[in-house]
Amino acid sequence: MSTTRRSITRFDRFRASVACGTLLAGALGLTVASTGAQEQIYDPTKIPALEGTWDGTPRARPVNSETVPWGKDNFPVLNERAKAYQKVFDEALSPKYDCQPSSSPAIQYDPYSMQVLQWPDRVVFRYEKDDQIRTIWLDGRKPTIYDWGLQGFSVGHYEGDALIAETDHFVFDITGFDDYNGIPSSQLKKVRERYWREGQELKVTVTVEDPMFLKQPASYTTRWLPQRPGYKLSAWDCDPEASRAPVKMMPQKYKD
Amino acid sequence: MNLRRWIEVGSVAVIGMVGLTAVPAIAHHSAAPFYDATKKVSAQGSVTRFLFKNPHSFLYFESSDDKGQKTEWQIELGPAASLTRTGWTPETLKPGTAIKAEGQPSRAEGSHGMCCAKITKPDGSPIVAGGRVTEEQQPPR
Repeated sequence: MSTTRRSITRFDRFRASVACGTLLAGALGLTVASTGAQEQIYDPTKIPALEGTWDGTPRARPVNSETVPWGKDNFPVLNERAKAYQKVFDEALSPKYDCQPSSSPAIQYDPYSMQVLQWPDRVVFRYEKDDQIRTIWLDGRKPTIYDWGLQGFSVGHYEGDALIAETDHFVFDITGFDDYNGIPSSQLKKVRERYWREGQELKVTVTVEDPMFLKQPASYTTRWLPQRPGYKLSAWDCDPEASRAPVKMMPQKYKD
Repeated sequence: MNLRRWIEVGSVAVIGMVGLTAVPAIAHHSAAPFYDATKKVSAQGSVTRFLFKNPHSFLYFESSDDKGQKTEWQIELGPAASLTRTGWTPETLKPGTAIKAEGQPSRAEGSHGMCCAKITKPDGSPIVAGGRVTEEQQPPR
């Protein structure tokens, strides 16, 4: 009886020690991601400082267009299927004229501001345009069948001075590559982002692969500048009427 | 008055002289399919509605020709998110305000739209005292 009591006591002491250790680690800002292969210790002093509100307007980089950020040097090599889609593409088809947000790899280049939050188990990107929020999970979790979506499902990890984010589980999007060139993206789209700091700038290289439409991966690199202190992202609240209003100013490709 | 105060006063004076200018439009869609950058069109009339929204703002006004035939025009402007930061508000162009607009005409047959417009009072003077209201580039998308 006394042996059993001693055993329980030792076990309880062991559990208490583990609990105290966990609490202490939490208090010190050290959190152990406990699941998955990408297990790593979170130490805010040892990860790249990406947090903040970042300016992606023309102050930081050229505005997106038919040739930006995909120009002659990095324009994707399209397969026959993609070219066929391009040929029949009609600007009025573009979901953005009904307030559907853009997705990767276009959303990173929209000429507005974004906010980055770094938490132990995730990095959150909040985009001013279209009120979009993306979560990059750092805890090793895997997507489920419920994780298909416009922005896909993102996991990530820190690699030296960079955050690596990898996203899949995108739904088909008729303008999912970008919204200027009529190139769609499929459920096979995968996007890899590498974020790092260069002085005051936040930089990213975005690489997209989609064997349904691209013959090989394509990528671009761009930057944000720090927003002025105190800047708050405004609500976008896309207005359906204002979103569709330009369409009637354009000659229709299809007559009925 | 210290140097900083002089700079602040000077900045306000400059803004007052230059007036209210819309920032170049922030891209949401290319203007090329919608508007013809090689042409100009102008019209004048009264504001009927100012849709101060994202992803683009729109100014509607009605013009009349010599025979009294009325036409409603649609001018595409930048997103409210950007216009706001340059001093525009939903009240900047109230219904009934007389304006003159000159810009790139819309391409659709029978449409009466323009972008990249310079908007003034009918005599060409600025709508906002001491300034002008101009969308200098094709609207952002």
